[in-house]
Amino acid sequence: MSRKKSENPDRPPAGAAPPSASAFEPPHAASVSPLWQTIRSNWMIPLVLLLLWPANWLVHDSGAIDSYQRRIIMLVGVSMMLAVSLQLINGISGQFSLGHAGFMAVGAYLSAYPMRTYDPQNPMGLVAYFIALAAVVGITAGVLFAIFFLIRRSGRLHPVMPSLLLLIVGAWFLVDVARAAKYEMPPAHFVWSRSFALLVDLFDGILAVSLPVANNISTFMPAAARPTLSFLIVLIGGGLCAAVAGLVVGLPTLRLRGDYLAIATLGFAEIIRVVITNSAPLGRATGMSGIPRLANFGWVYGGVIVTILVVWRIARSAKGRNITAVREDEIAAAAIGIDPTRHKVLAFVVGAFLAGVAGGMFAHFSSYLNPQEFGFLRSVEIVVMVTLGGLGSISGAIITAIVLTTLPELLRGFAEWRMIVYAALLIGMMLLRPQGLMGSREIWDLIPRFARRRAPVPSPTTPEGGSNAPP
Amino acid sequence: MPLLEIRDLSLCFGGLTALSNFNFSLDRGQLVGLIGPNGAGKTTAFNVVTGVYAPTSGRLMLEGQCIAGAPSFRINRMGIARTFQNIRLFAAMTVLDNVLVGLNSSVTHGFWGTLLRSPRHQREEIEHEAEAMRLLGTLGLADRADVMAKNLPYGDQRRLEIARALATRPKILLLDEPAAGMNPQEKIELMALIRLVRDRFGVGIWLIEHDMKLVMTICERITVLDHGETIAQGTPSEVQNDPKVIEAYLGEPVG
Repeated sequence: MSRKKSENPDRPPAGAAPPSASAFEPPHAASVSPLWQTIRSNWMIPLVLLLLWPANWLVHDSGAIDSYQRRIIMLVGVSMMLAVSLQLINGISGQFSLGHAGFMAVGAYLSAYPMRTYDPQNPMGLVAYFIALAAVVGITAGVLFAIFFLIRRSGRLHPVMPSLLLLIVGAWFLVDVARAAKYEMPPAHFVWSRSFALLVDLFDGILAVSLPVANNISTFMPAAARPTLSFLIVLIGGGLCAAVAGLVVGLPTLRLRGDYLAIATLGFAEIIRVVITNSAPLGRATGMSGIPRLANFGWVYGGVIVTILVVWRIARSAKGRNITAVREDEIAAAAIGIDPTRHKVLAFVVGAFLAGVAGGMFAHFSSYLNPQEFGFLRSVEIVVMVTLGGLGSISGAIITAIVLTTLPELLRGFAEWRMIVYAALLIGMMLLRPQGLMGSREIWDLIPRFARRRAPVPSPTTPEGGSNAPP
Repeated sequence: MPLLEIRDLSLCFGGLTALSNFNFSLDRGQLVGLIGPNGAGKTTAFNVVTGVYAPTSGRLMLEGQCIAGAPSFRINRMGIARTFQNIRLFAAMTVLDNVLVGLNSSVTHGFWGTLLRSPRHQREEIEHEAEAMRLLGTLGLADRADVMAKNLPYGDQRRLEIARALATRPKILLLDEPAAGMNPQEKIELMALIRLVRDRFGVGIWLIEHDMKLVMTICERITVLDHGETIAQGTPSEVQNDPKVIEAYLGEPVG
């Protein structure tokens, strides 16, 4: 180990390496308390959120921005949230998901649904709504899981049993649905329809019981804060619903890779869209209108900031390193103690949650939802933003989200040519920079002063590293 | 009771027996070799021990606990780490990050700690970085901490894999052809490094290697595999003179 002895204990001054980076010095930050560091990395957040007040006034009340521009600004915000949250799934965790519009739709519809009839003075009622929803979904999932479990366990009796049972259950289910559709019989005649009606009854029952209680709790809250709180509750509730959807899709499909996962998630998003198109309470294909316009500039961009913060902090932490390690090499990651499934699901669920919140924002500023808006093209659009910005680059996703959302509007003057220009730009971009706008770097990596400390140092072939090259 | 104990382990892929009646034991501080011609089942043995494959039959015990069929990540947390024959580094991550990932099992801050950058998160990030740098220093990679793993020279990549495995604080380290692709000088350094790792970290090392000089020099015991069967087991000199081993490597003696 002659090399080790001859090695200079101080690392070469590549980049702006702080003293801590030396292997042989005690950690510098032992002198700086971790609590102080926590404060130092968080103190700006409330400040930035406070700055949204004047910005909100500027966009809405100053008269400097008309309603068309305002709508585009809001759409840009939603695009940024979607692109950054998909960056967590597609870029950082490396799972090619084409279902982001599906998660967005879940968040949008389920957060907007209670708001059309809501009582602005009863925010806790919305909590009751989500609890009822969770109960219904939980019971359904429990029953389905029990059936699945029984079918699987039946294999112990005879190897043919699982397939046989699956066939019977599937056939029964199909016949039941088909008969209900064909004869338009009252739901009670068919097990499937009847159980669906039971779930609806359960949902209504829970709401009927819990709404007065919730109303009582709400009266303890300051009246002025209640509508704001209501909106916050539906945003988070919608996000949680999307996260549950992410879990449901994620657990079985995450063993798939690449194209296969893309197709599976695409299928999921289509299922969501078709279910919405066919369910009466959500307005079927006509769409859902009359959603209160609660999301203003401050809300949307507050959401953007939170999204960026969440994804950034996950990406630059032990969790994010584990997720990236699973992306790079699943077998090696497992061999050093990382549970690959857990980390993939984590990225998927957090990404889905943020997409659901973005959907909630979208619902509450456009005031009208149509299942067509959550189709395949919307998913592709978000994937294009992420890929074009550079897989793994959060700032890249932000930049492309802004450009790709405003570009079609800026090109409106070209009328029928605009989509061709748009497409040509995409093709040109991919030819000139196949790794995306930013590659896997961030925009501030380009400015030497702000370059990350762990940015790549010169390769060993350069004179600087040459002295340390192996003999 | 030895640290790692393998009794009558077999692994079949359909009709192919990749490993049959394999017996082995390893303790802390030991340095044991596994050799055999290509396709003998050496890496397969490693894959079974690290949970990539579940054995068809036999016992696989770590500190008296059965680990047969447990998932890889759990086996690692119980104390077995490995390197790979075809290097499996996290190519697009830096050298330091590769080792930091290895420290994942000692991360105690949770999801919310990550999001809020809690004091514990801050403290652990700093401590882990210092620990990773110490490890890199031990393996002579400290000056490469910020290089992307894929840009490292070959020998350094092999050493980084060892550093990453050591970061998981293993009791047993499995090295799959650590000297493959190294020049003679690097091999000499590697031998010193393997001994150093054993002495400083107190791990039991089990290594697969084709370079006979290296194996015969540093290993205390050697197991020889051929077509999944154990054909010899013993000290280097015993194994070297075993007619079955000579036959497996050189073919049947003529006259």
